[in-house]
Amino acid sequence: MKPINLTALALAASASSSAFATQYLTVEQAQQVMFPDATGFRDVSLQLTGEQMKQVEKLAGLPARSVAWRVFAAYKGDAQLGSLLGYVVLDDVIGKFELISYAVAVNPDASIKQIEILTYRESHGFEIKSPAWRKQFVGKTAAAGLSIGDGIASISGATLSCTHVTDGVRRIAAIAQVALKK
Amino acid sequence: MRRRAQPWLGTLVEVTIADTLSEAAAALAFDAAFGAIAEVHRLMSYHDAASDVSKINQMAVGSALQIHARTATVMRAALDMNAVTDGLFDIACASRLVEWGYLPRAGLESGLHQGLARHQRNRPALHIDADGNLQKLAPVLIDLGGIAKGYAVDAAIDALQASGVAAACVNAGGDLRVYGETAFPIMIRDPRAPTQIGFRFDLKDAALATSGSYFSQRTVQGQPRSALVHGVDGSAVVNNISVTVQAPACMTADALTKLVLLSADPRHPLLQQFGATAFII
Repeated sequence: MKPINLTALALAASASSSAFATQYLTVEQAQQVMFPDATGFRDVSLQLTGEQMKQVEKLAGLPARSVAWRVFAAYKGDAQLGSLLGYVVLDDVIGKFELISYAVAVNPDASIKQIEILTYRESHGFEIKSPAWRKQFVGKTAAAGLSIGDGIASISGATLSCTHVTDGVRRIAAIAQVALKK
Repeated sequence: MRRRAQPWLGTLVEVTIADTLSEAAAALAFDAAFGAIAEVHRLMSYHDAASDVSKINQMAVGSALQIHARTATVMRAALDMNAVTDGLFDIACASRLVEWGYLPRAGLESGLHQGLARHQRNRPALHIDADGNLQKLAPVLIDLGGIAKGYAVDAAIDALQASGVAAACVNAGGDLRVYGETAFPIMIRDPRAPTQIGFRFDLKDAALATSGSYFSQRTVQGQPRSALVHGVDGSAVVNNISVTVQAPACMTADALTKLVLLSADPRHPLLQQFGATAFII
């Protein structure tokens, strides 16, 4: 008999009881929105070296946090010979209540072109702090089979600061400077 | 229903378009809406050294500055709101927020905070003429955090209307406005459990803003503080309620939440004057 994973069930239940969750764009939609002239996107994900990590921390004034970064290069024309329009860097940030996936469009000169939120999810602080709760979302998109409520209502309330996203963008700007700049 | 969100004004700004526009037309409308928000951010950010707000904070007493028409609109509304609320609503509370660590220290800030109201007994700290020339008459440190988000929402709504969008919603971290024939579902956070829904209803052709201190409360040097400052006595608003104001424009709704929160009166006589209604949860 196949054992039932009670932990997974409990996590799924608590995650779906989260009041606020919205999907704005899939990774593919974000690529199109940020580089409408692109004819193709190529996975050029990064593995930062120890030296690059140090440079990123120095530039951003923040811990580099991760060695691996998901990056797509946007091209017009042939993926090898065509012109490079820029990059799309993907990231997730975790706040006190919220988990936000976002995409940053970077120009070839490493300047920031645009930022788009992909998904926004909220839950209780204790769920956000649980690595298992976060793990089920991080790096996923709707295409990966994640379904979240209708997400149509708009939330009104005290302003929730987006410091984590702002810091994340600063870190990505530094990574672009160190590892993507042409 | 198409929906996009970008980080601006220190929060997430969400634009929802409820219209069967072509993909290309919707993309242009989103660009126009976020473009307006970005412009307000650049002009009115406390943190950006090149913003009008930073220039006002840095300029010497006695000097004058030409400010952008958008900044002038918000500053005039803020000064007017300060006058009609007898100083309860005050953009000159930034020095308190600096003191409590909510805002970074600006370069020049000697002889700070008396608040706009206290100056007004003798003369106002700031004066703007009809051409957008601002004069600084007394030391003052301003932050438009209590009104600029609402204005940015109005500016984005104007941009969407100008782009021919029939119905839309713009939400800047809780300050929102909807227009068109579509009724938009709105959820208000429960101030005692902010990740839960406290109230849910549909909103059509109106603006709504909610203020509360639940996300910004913290202890600073043993004292409970928040990002909401009482304009007259300079104390922090620390409680577990939230105030929601509905008004025709979001800038008005945003500013009036502070009046209701500080007066604790959801039937304050000034609300009617601005065509607004309020409730406390």
